[in-house]
Parts: sequence; C-alpha cells; structure tokens
Amino acid sequence: MAQNNQSEPFTLEHARRVAARNGEEVVPGFCAMCGPGPNACGIYAFVKDGRFLRVAGMAESPVNRGGLCPKAHAAPQWVYSPDRLKYPLKRIGEKGEGKFERISWDEAIQIVADTLKRQKAAYGPESLAILSPALRSYSDYLRRFLTVHGSPNYGHSGICAMQRAFAFMYTLGDWPGPELGKSDLIIYWGRQPIYSGAAAPSPKLLVGAKARGAKIIAIKPSMEPDAGMADIWLPLRPGTDAALALAMLHVVVGEDLIDAAFVEQWCFGFPQLKAHVQKFSPEWAEGITGVGAQQIRDVARLYATTPRASIDLGNGVEHAPSSNDAIRAVAILIAITGHLDRPGGNLFGGPFGVPSTMPLPQDISLRERFTQEMVDKLVGPEFPRPFQPFVEGLSSAYYRILDSVLTEKPYPIRTIIAPGTQPSVSTRGSKRVLEALKNLEFYVVVDVARTADMAYADIVIPTATPYESDHPFDGRGGWLMARNKIIEPLGDYKSTYEFFLDLGVAMGYGADFWHGSMREAMEAQMQPFGMTLDELRQHPVGITYEPLPRTYENYAKVFQRRSPRLSGAPFLPQGKVAIYNTSFEAEGFSPLPEWREPPESLTGTPELTGQYPLLLSDYHTSKNYTASWQRNLPLLRELEPHPLLHIHPETASVRGISQGDWVIVDSPHCSIRVKAELFPGIRPDTVMVLHGWWQGCGELGMEDMPLLAGGANVNAMYSVEEGKAYDPLITAMTSQTLVEVRRA
Amino acid sequence: MERGFSFAPEKCIQCHACAVACKSWRELEPKVRYRWVENIWQGSYPEIRCVSSTIACKQCDDPPCVAVCPEDAISKRLENGIVVVNAEACSGCQACLGACPDAIPQFGADGKMQKCDLCLGRIDLGSEEPPCVATCPTKALGFLRSEVE
Repeated sequence: MAQNNQSEPFTLEHARRVAARNGEEVVPGFCAMCGPGPNACGIYAFVKDGRFLRVAGMAESPVNRGGLCPKAHAAPQWVYSPDRLKYPLKRIGEKGEGKFERISWDEAIQIVADTLKRQKAAYGPESLAILSPALRSYSDYLRRFLTVHGSPNYGHSGICAMQRAFAFMYTLGDWPGPELGKSDLIIYWGRQPIYSGAAAPSPKLLVGAKARGAKIIAIKPSMEPDAGMADIWLPLRPGTDAALALAMLHVVVGEDLIDAAFVEQWCFGFPQLKAHVQKFSPEWAEGITGVGAQQIRDVARLYATTPRASIDLGNGVEHAPSSNDAIRAVAILIAITGHLDRPGGNLFGGPFGVPSTMPLPQDISLRERFTQEMVDKLVGPEFPRPFQPFVEGLSSAYYRILDSVLTEKPYPIRTIIAPGTQPSVSTRGSKRVLEALKNLEFYVVVDVARTADMAYADIVIPTATPYESDHPFDGRGGWLMARNKIIEPLGDYKSTYEFFLDLGVAMGYGADFWHGSMREAMEAQMQPFGMTLDELRQHPVGITYEPLPRTYENYAKVFQRRSPRLSGAPFLPQGKVAIYNTSFEAEGFSPLPEWREPPESLTGTPELTGQYPLLLSDYHTSKNYTASWQRNLPLLRELEPHPLLHIHPETASVRGISQGDWVIVDSPHCSIRVKAELFPGIRPDTVMVLHGWWQGCGELGMEDMPLLAGGANVNAMYSVEEGKAYDPLITAMTSQTLVEVRRA
Repeated sequence: MERGFSFAPEKCIQCHACAVACKSWRELEPKVRYRWVENIWQGSYPEIRCVSSTIACKQCDDPPCVAVCPEDAISKRLENGIVVVNAEACSGCQACLGACPDAIPQFGADGKMQKCDLCLGRIDLGSEEPPCVATCPTKALGFLRSEVE
C-alpha cells in the first residue's frame, strides 16, 4: 500500500494560496495570546473585508515551526469580544460602583497628566507606581516612564521568573538553562513544560527527549500530562521544594557523589555545606514533603551519577517562603554534581533557548539614570535594597505597592497605573487588594477589555490588541520580524506603547519620549540591527539568525560577572559558586539554604489540621487560559467551562463528594466555590485549582464570579501576613494553605 | 486514495490545539465539536500514569451510522473513504448517534447531523492537511493518504 503522508508546510506562499481560494487576504504576524518569554509564535492571520477571521501557524517561524496552541486560535474571539473597551472612560459614581462616562483619548491623557503633576509636586514622584505582573513587550516603556518621572516603583509580581533569576545569579552568576536536546536525564521540577507555550520549543524537546530514550523525572503535586509522560514522578506537597532539595544535597554530599575537582576549584563554602546538610536527611524530608525517603535517595543518586543530566526548574518553586532556599539548593546541586555548563547539563546563557547571533534591541529602559535616592525610595522592594536594582531594573513587589495604600508605610502610593493586569486576581490577598483599590487616590486601568477591578478605576484607558497595531517589532529566539497591523482598531484607542508616549508628552517629558513618535521609538530600538523598520518589513516572515556555537565550562568568565547593583559588585564575591553566600550573610540573611514552613501547612501548623485537614495550592497556567484572562472566549471556555478542584477520588468519597459536584473550599482566609473533578493523579492530602477565575463568558451565558467569598478566586485563600507569607529575600508569596472541602 | 488520521499518543501533550483549530476553521457553533482530546488514567496513586487520546470520526470501513440511517443521508465515498452527511436528507432523528461506538455525531441548532469529513472540499486532500493536523505542535496527529488496491 503506497503512502504519501507528506503535506505542504504552511509557508507564506501556501497561506496566500489558501487565502486566495477563500477570497481572503493573509497577513503574517505574531500571536499575542500568552505571556512573555520565548513564546512569540508566528501566525498567518486571515482577513476578509477588514475582519480578522482565523489563524494558522507560520512554518517559517523557528519558534513554533507551523504549530499553534489552542489559545492562538481564539485570537479573533478576543479581538471582537463584547467585553472590549472601545473608548476612554471617566468614573462618575463611587469607587467600586462601576459608573463611568465616555471621554476622548486626549481628555483622558490630560486628566492623568494633571493628576500626576499635582501629586508629584505635593508628594514626590515616588507616589506613582505602575504594576506589571509579568514581563511584557511594553515593560520597558513602563520603566522608562517611571524613571523619567522619578519613581522607582515598578510593581513586579514577586512570584515569577525574577525569583529564580535572583537565587540562581547570586549563587552561580547566571541562570543556567537545561540543554534538553543532549540530556540523558531531565528533571522537570515545579515546571509545566507544555502549557506555558505549547507550540514553543519546550514540549517538542520533551517529546524528543523521550523518543531518544532520556529518562524523565517530574516533581510536582499533581499529574498533569507532562508528569504523565515521565518515567518517575515525585508527588511532593506544595511549597516543600526546599526540603526536597536539601535532602538531595544531604544524599549527594553524604555519599560523596560530587565532582570533587569542580568543587575544589570552583566552589566556595563546601565544607560549611557538608556540615549544614547533615540534618536534612531523606527521612526528615519525607515527613515534610510527603515523598518517600527511598525515592528521594534514588532520584538524588540517579541525577548525580548521570553525566548528562539537567534540571528544568519551573515557576512552581517561586511561590513559598523558602523559595530562595529551594532555588539556591538546586543551583548548588547542579554545581557540585558537575552538571554546570557541561554537555547535557545546565548551561550558562539563560533559560530561554539557544543564544543566537541576533543582536539585542537597544535598551530603552533608562536604567543608567538609577540613583541611590531612587533605591532608598522604593515603597516595598521586591528584593532588599542592597540588591537593587536587579537585572530588569528597580522593582517594588506588586502586592506591597497595594499594601502601602492601606498601611501608609513607608508612605502611601497615590496613583497606580495597571496596564494589562488585574490586581484583585493577579496577586495574593485579594480582600486587602480590593480595600486598597477603594482607598487609592487615583487608579488608572489600561487594558483591551473589561477587567476584574475596573469598577474601582478613576480613568479607564482602552488599548489596541497587538492584532490592531503595527508595533512593536519582535525579536526572540533568534527570530526578528516586523509587526503588521492585521485589522484597524475597533474604537477610539491606541496601543499601550502610544499611551505612554502620549502621557510622556503631556507631562512635559517629550524629549525622552521621541516627542510622541512611535516610529522614532521603534527606529531607536532597531539601531543594533543595522537596518530601518522599512528594511525589516521587506522580510515578510522576518529574519532568522544562526544560533551561536555552544561552548562549555565558561566558569572563569561567568563567575566574574558584575551584578546590576549601583556598586557594580560581582554576583559572586569569591569568583566561585557561592555555596556559602557571603553577599546574603552581609545583609543579615542566611548564608546557606534553609527550610522554612509555609504560613499554613500540615507540618508547620498541625494545630490547624483538625479544622483544615487538606493542603491547597494552585496551578499557574493551563492549556486553555493565560493567567486571569481569556475566560470570556467561547472557544477556550468550552474546554473548561467551570473552575475545577482537582481532588483525589478517595478524598472526595469520604466527604460524600461525587464527580462534578459544586463544592465549597474553606481556608482560614476565605472560601471559594468550585466544581469537583475527581483526579486520580493528585496527592490525596492535596487539592488544587487554577488561579485567575472571575470572568464570565457572555456569549455562552456564563456570568462573572464574585472576587471574594462565593467566587473561585484562589488568591483570596492565602495568607499575606508579613514575616510569614513571603520569602525574606525574594518576596515570593506563598500559594499554600490548609483547607477543608464540603459539598455546596 | 484513502484518507485518514494517524495518532501517536506518546507524542500528544494534550494541548487541545487540534480541537480548537477545528472549531475555528470550521466555524462550529458552541457545543458542536468534530474533534476532542481525552485524558486516560492508568493505575492508581501513586503508581499512576496518564495517556492521551484524540477522538474524531474514524471514517469506518463499514460505518454503523450509514447502516442505521433511515433516510440514507449518510454515505461512504468510495474514492476517498470519507463518510459524508447529506444535510438535505437528514431528519435529525439521531439514530446515528446511538449506533456510533464513539458517540461522534453532533447536532447543532439546525438539528442536522454533522461531524468530521476531513475538510473535504475545503482543502486539497492530495497535498494539504486539515487544520487539526497542521496546528499540532508535536506532530502527534498526522494525516494519511494510502492507495487502495
């Protein structure tokens, strides 16, 4: 039987043919349906009579190579959603009431500028904060605006990426990414390699590694599909990664499974570590993590004795009071077992794919203007002041900015601008966040669609989706491409970039904002590429740069790297792996990784387990939703219409809970109402939900949910108690608590 | 030339892109689906695994839906093996749904049976693949073309 299973790849030529057949046009572009990082997939957008219809994956893109995830296909529903904001709004009712009147774009800019000028004169520029939970392609515009204004208060999440970056860089001088293509053993630890960019390289690398016969180990509390593909699953209790990592160090140090030559030449403080980890036996860790001591030993031995072994450490380790310790302990484990910057191990150069010959766009963040005075004025530093600025610049923790409105310590923030972020569902402590928004002097929401807490806004700025915008150009993963406008904007709005340019001009900062010209802003950033934007547009599917040849064992160079602190002091004072961390010690923090219980846990607060016998944590990402948006898109909502509680069948059964029952989950801080999904692949002592639920889907007749009790907003369930709920060094806010579950 | 899908469960990451690409390209109304993904549990905690399955009309060799249809509205095309529905003739009795072992037949607002037809008439079946296959990031889902003697 003859077979011809080769199909034409979805190239520009092919896309044009498909479009012509249907009487449509095709526009090459970027997908904009998920977060930052390496996930800027190439798409072909199909348009008819000015209407955006659907997408296909761009075969020429080295990021997605023609594939696309489900979120990508929902883009037209996002653009045309009835929830879109079409024109600027000004509050006319009480805060929280949701009464607005329509104003023009120029009026809105003027009102914001007048308020900021008045507050700057009365309270100083630091009274302004801009929230940005995740890195966005517009993040540098937010930073630039703050710096020109004179405020250091860029509000970063405190729960994503920079927490890993900090602990890794102050231990290893770099955040080394796993060389998955060459590893014989891969540990996915607190990582979701599929849902965070299903069409990006990481799932293909996982599938490729399996096909090659590499051993896969998954460390996470529940069996998502990636853990289902693993050879070994360590179902640890949420928030106990540090205890597990310390026990693995205990094993490799105690059994002498280290790379003695590397430790001797390139590590500082190994003797102290050896004494320190004595007490963290696998038996001790079993009591805390719920993972069997023997399994901990086996995995530690397997990792240490496999020459080409890597660890892909995910966002899951950034949500506990011992996060910095967990990440440092893993960094030390990588180093002392000889897996640092060696083939198939964890390589210098960052975690986001293979470095390429592509230049970086011109940095427009104005970090060169940071001063000690700005460091001193941070309202709630994400990292302690002696470690500011960090790699992305100065930052206050997102939640601490909101908290300052209520505590007025050290001073209250007076204006918060929230572009593309929803404080009441994006950070912990939702009850206090709403209180803060009610008491905040001036709240500006900048978004493409109705947000969870828009009712508290004084001014609402609608913005273009990236599908309605011809900027910015994007260059990631060695791939540079201009952005094409797929359709014209649907209302009286501009892009988020243009908002900050217009506001800059209205504030009198025009000289620093290209006098309001987006074109000039883009050209300035294009300079390192040695071409203009028009020249880049001559390449309809962009330019792909060659990857840089891999080199290994770059210790001498990387261990000398200077930190971004104003002093420029190196990350590693001894020019060696900081096993014993004198930088931390000098500022009063533990020089060696420790174990610290979450504010509520089975082992840390046994007195609570009578009333609240189960652990609750949440998933950071899902197959069909990005963070706290996209529930209003029917194509995605149909895949998961209701907020689900993953609960083990036996845990459910003893509570009289059946598949699909609505249940109430009570924690010491709030309660949520969710639907039970009997989930055989979860620890029986743990239940989990997806974060970010609030939004209804009008097209499917589904209403918004309450932000607090009775809703499904898991962020309301956790402690935000200062001194207990955060990692002392990197803020990392807890996403663990104790709960009981009952039928609704 | 017969057409059909191939599926490699060990490559499926359960991203559900196939299901959504299909709905978008075929402009399916809510609740109507031609393809979906299922998670199958094996074993029990902690000795547990999960594997993937993606489900769509298999274009059976001897389709029970064709046999059961009282209106003769369903037929199997000999030249390409695709099972097609004549919407004009379909009375919406749903006998096909009862007969199909995979509960494939779908009924939307017009009450007529609809299901995957491999994008017959929408793509060039000789050189192109349906959107569900094209979107698959890990190539777990494939499109087969085999000569039949």
